[in-house]
Amino acid sequence: SIATSAASGAELQREQHARSVLRETFLRCLLSMNNKKVRFHMHGKVKVEATFGASDIDVLNFQVSDLHTPIGVQKEALIRSQDVISFTVDE
Amino acid sequence: SWRSSAAPPSERPGERRGAEMKKLYGQDAAKILAMEAAMQLTFDRNCDLKQPKYWPVIPLKL
Amino acid sequence: MQGSWSLLGPLSWTGYINKQVNVTAGTDESHQGWLVTVDPVSASLVLVDFREDGGTSMEVVMGHAVENVTVLHEADEVTLDRLRTSVLSPATCSLDP
Repeated sequence: SIATSAASGAELQREQHARSVLRETFLRCLLSMNNKKVRFHMHGKVKVEATFGASDIDVLNFQVSDLHTPIGVQKEALIRSQDVISFTVDE
Repeated sequence: SWRSSAAPPSERPGERRGAEMKKLYGQDAAKILAMEAAMQLTFDRNCDLKQPKYWPVIPLKL
Repeated sequence: MQGSWSLLGPLSWTGYINKQVNVTAGTDESHQGWLVTVDPVSASLVLVDFREDGGTSMEVVMGHAVENVTVLHEADEVTLDRLRTSVLSPATCSLDP
């Protein structure tokens, strides 16, 4: 009926709006991390520090610099998001 | 539904992404698309410039 | 709700915004903070923590690693203000004297 399709249309708009607010805020958070020191907590209790560069939009990879690995510093690196549990910036 | 049918070969990837974005983000699709494009550009440019290698070389988790 | 966090969707995620949450992720790791947003693409959470030294920590917990999310507290007015002003405005734009 017209009533239900209008209701579902409004519901769709609510969901679209919620999704775009969440996404925009997330992208802004990632942008705010640019050039900051981040600590990555990875699978297997691996913890490393690096300077955050950028992420691809599908959040599959993080591009970082000065990555402090257990065996030395890697000047430029890509970290797979699948390897990551969380990462933190302290201000 | 139209989504389950194969896309006609004449369809351009950009248009398809635009339509998907419109479905996901509605009125804000253009804004999100622009923000994503800027972020992806930064990522791609940094990768071109710095040639980062994956660390660790082998994924920790498959 | 193990494994189901990433399936909740935008309207459900929005219900957690500005609440202090406990997130278990990976193995035996728990993360606490005020939930700022959830990425609708990766289901990753952004948590903010106001430290006792006056600093702010921002943590991103990857959606694929999330096991469980529970609400600890609702934000009071003061916390809402801090979340609004401190999180997404660059530190360089701070209006503090």
